[in-house]
Amino acid sequence: MKAGQWVRDLGMGARFAVTGGREGWVRALLTAVGVGLGVALLLLTTSIPNALAARDERSAAGSSLSHQAPKGDDTLLVADVYTEFRGETVQGSALEPEGPRAPLPPGLRRFPAQGEMVVSPALKELLLSDSGKLLRERLPDRIVGTIGDSGLIGPADLTFFRGADGLASRLDGGTVIRIDGFGERAGQSDAWDPVLILLVMVVFVVLLMPVAVFIAAAVRFGGERRDRRLAALRLVGADSRMTRRIAAGEALAGAVLGLVLGAGFFLLGRQAAGSVEVFRVSVFPNDLQPSPVLVLLVAVAVPAAAVLVTLFALRGVVIEPLGVVRTARPARRRLWWRLLLPLAGLALLYPMIGQGNDGGDFNAYLVVGGVMLLLIGVTALLPWAVETVVARLGSGGVAWQLAVRRLQLSSGTAARMVNGIAVAVAGSIALQMLFAGVDSDYTSDTGYDVSRAQMQMSLPAEVPLASATDRFRRTEGVRAVYPFSEGYVGERRTDPERGTSVLAGSCAELREMARLPSCHDGDVFAVRGAEYDTDTPKLAVPGRKLYFDPTYEGDTKGREIPWTVPDGIRAAQARIGLTGWHQGGFLITPGALPDAAAPALTGQIYLKLDPSVPDAWELALNTAAALDPLTAPMELSATERNDRFDAIRTGLFVGATCVLALIGASLLISQLEQLRERRKLLSALVAFGTRRRTLSLSLLWQTAIPVALGLLLASVVGLALGIVLMRMADTTVRVDWTSLLSMTGVGAAVVLAVTLLSLPPLLRLMRPDGLRTE
Amino acid sequence: MTAPAGSLLAAEELRKAYGPTVALDGAAFSIHPGEVVAVMGPSGSGKSTLLHCLAGIVTPDSGSITYHGRELAGMSDAQRSALRRSEFGFVFQFGQLVPELTCVENVALPLRLNGRPRKEAERSALSWMERLEVDDLAKKRPGEVSGGQGQRVAVARALVTNPRVLFADEPTGALDSLNGERVMELLTDAARSTNAAVVLVTHEARVAAYSDREVVVRDGKSRDMERVV
Repeated sequence: MKAGQWVRDLGMGARFAVTGGREGWVRALLTAVGVGLGVALLLLTTSIPNALAARDERSAAGSSLSHQAPKGDDTLLVADVYTEFRGETVQGSALEPEGPRAPLPPGLRRFPAQGEMVVSPALKELLLSDSGKLLRERLPDRIVGTIGDSGLIGPADLTFFRGADGLASRLDGGTVIRIDGFGERAGQSDAWDPVLILLVMVVFVVLLMPVAVFIAAAVRFGGERRDRRLAALRLVGADSRMTRRIAAGEALAGAVLGLVLGAGFFLLGRQAAGSVEVFRVSVFPNDLQPSPVLVLLVAVAVPAAAVLVTLFALRGVVIEPLGVVRTARPARRRLWWRLLLPLAGLALLYPMIGQGNDGGDFNAYLVVGGVMLLLIGVTALLPWAVETVVARLGSGGVAWQLAVRRLQLSSGTAARMVNGIAVAVAGSIALQMLFAGVDSDYTSDTGYDVSRAQMQMSLPAEVPLASATDRFRRTEGVRAVYPFSEGYVGERRTDPERGTSVLAGSCAELREMARLPSCHDGDVFAVRGAEYDTDTPKLAVPGRKLYFDPTYEGDTKGREIPWTVPDGIRAAQARIGLTGWHQGGFLITPGALPDAAAPALTGQIYLKLDPSVPDAWELALNTAAALDPLTAPMELSATERNDRFDAIRTGLFVGATCVLALIGASLLISQLEQLRERRKLLSALVAFGTRRRTLSLSLLWQTAIPVALGLLLASVVGLALGIVLMRMADTTVRVDWTSLLSMTGVGAAVVLAVTLLSLPPLLRLMRPDGLRTE
Repeated sequence: MTAPAGSLLAAEELRKAYGPTVALDGAAFSIHPGEVVAVMGPSGSGKSTLLHCLAGIVTPDSGSITYHGRELAGMSDAQRSALRRSEFGFVFQFGQLVPELTCVENVALPLRLNGRPRKEAERSALSWMERLEVDDLAKKRPGEVSGGQGQRVAVARALVTNPRVLFADEPTGALDSLNGERVMELLTDAARSTNAAVVLVTHEARVAAYSDREVVVRDGKSRDMERVV
């Protein structure tokens, strides 16, 4: 076959698409919108790695930890003044330049003076709003400017830089550091562990596969009506091959128009993405840049797919000069080659079973290839499953009969409609299982007993414990305050081999940390039975001299304050303390604490908040900030998670939501198109008295049967893929029924929503006006 | 003008417009049991709209339609649907058979919509298909039969409920003359044998020749043409 002939036929088809009057335009537009949505989602999704990389880069550029330096005219003192507001992180730094050459953080034009702050646009908006009043109390400095984009990770970041004074006296190498520059030095970023990379790869395949399936379905929008139009071409002499190529040309025009629309949707979506924050992640529009190779691939693959899918779809259709004849009994779908796809996928994944985190990186080609084949297997198996099952369905009521007979006549159309959902659900089930399986590896139990205290903070040396305790007791929403002084004693002044902790507090407070026999001010206790504390029994010898804050080699000199273990020391039994662990060491009541030891102790306050007071947490944070901006309040939560694990899980939810919404939209378009095709028939059915309820119910059955089959198949494939992925991650295999049911539920909900949304047009189409041209 | 005595279905002063387009402008019509009336007129004259109004498919903007003395305008949509299911039958130009149902299922459909059990409905359907000489097509789907055969199946579907009035809108419009004549013979014979009235919309004099009386519609107005057969 000459290439010229192909080009001529495809071109003719493309011309028909745009010059074929309203019907041609509507069809081309439907295809273009469908393809455009798919292309836009494809470009947006594949831009996410670049966006995350850009966020990482800016985060690294603003990092200062690796630039600690001795004092000079080019150094800057930086204090981390992180806080939270209603669950949102508010990242802040107090800055004090020590010379004219002090490095300016990215996004700033000048250093704010004391009493001034420069804030991110999002924080400025929040602080100036009514809902930000409580936060404004905590950050009362005058706003003198906004941070430029280069100083922010995302547009919705709540970030500030405030001017400070006297930070040098609080240098500790942790909260307050001295630096001579910003930016992460090369080779500092942590490597991702292989299971996390496996998760990322699978998330991408799972998200992109349904989009590809959707695009394949979109190029067939309006196919039935087009087939009839093509019969006219046969009448004027086109042979059947030419007709098919002309049909492919029509689809090609829609696909190319779809590419243009997709680029437009992508640019619009990119702008919109800059103004929304999803699961606490926001991105600048410019960060969403798909890789040029991928753009090229999409630009070539989408039109090519349109041509191939159309040629493939027209295999079973004989376009005769006087009309279209669908092969009355289409060749029975064969199972064997359909089974080969998922089996090949399993074969690709099999060598990686048991690899886990210790076996090095997973082979990306095998992972992506294997998962893709398994998911493509769903799209191959579903038409066979629908055909096989509906062929066996018997007659019921009229609605059921209409639905079943329609499915029997064109089960392929029904399966195509559901394919996207089935792939998305199968992939999501597998991923949810894998997430649930490895969850325990990335979530650690902190041991905090959050029923006894929800907030902990270390007080800077400048803040007296007593006055801080008093301020918190007077704070609205604080139900109980547990103040302690914490320290450490060693057996020698320098480099002690044995040492243990010291906790000073009143009898009532000490009882929160250990079981005391009886307690009076002036008592000292040595705690027994605390896990991992083997030194205390050896050090708790009356008359033995110990030293508070001993000095360790290579560290700054400690205070080395001597203390003698009193004669009357008594034993206390360990219990789970407010920290969630068994508190060991010495417990000292205030009367027994030597005055000289006070500078060697740090104030620690635990707060129990009143859940019935709204903003109790914020009010406590405001008190803490008023005491000293450098207090570091910490939320005590029962578990803590790996941030990257959370980011991937979040990405999956965002992506799956977009994909399901897109597929829902495609189902709706496809449904409406089918209804439009049957407009006259529907009107005729109504004319001889068919109840609207009967037709609506028939529509529901017609959707529900393939969807039920699709979800069943998706569950089976999803479970199989989930088990394989868990075995690959070397995790105990267990079926996460909750995620399975929730994902199938979401899939079913999408279909139900589509059916409900297509009912109004159905009822409109059933109006007798449809007979007017009769 | 008042409806002639004994008329089964009668319409007076019917007006119907689709936007700026006036389809009916004071049209009148009546038909007696067992009578075959041809509604003739050029394309766009309003004859199909008249049929749709008479069948209760379309509600006229004004005027009156009575069936057995009952005003159609006074009936709810559900009542009109029930009337179409049990008392009326329809044949359209392109048959409008449900493509996914077999021919016998198509013919049985109106009975099933009336609540008849499937087997009983299909038995009745088959006997009507025999009368219309298409019983050998029972298991075939509409896509597998010829236009003339499909139209005969559609006639069987229209008659299966023993309707009192049969509405036929260009029933032979898509058929060649030979097939058209056969369909008309079968249709009118079957209707007469059950004493059903037939409202036959056509623009072909050859088809109108099967009627007892002709009504001509032009510019939305009707005129009765008495004719000696």
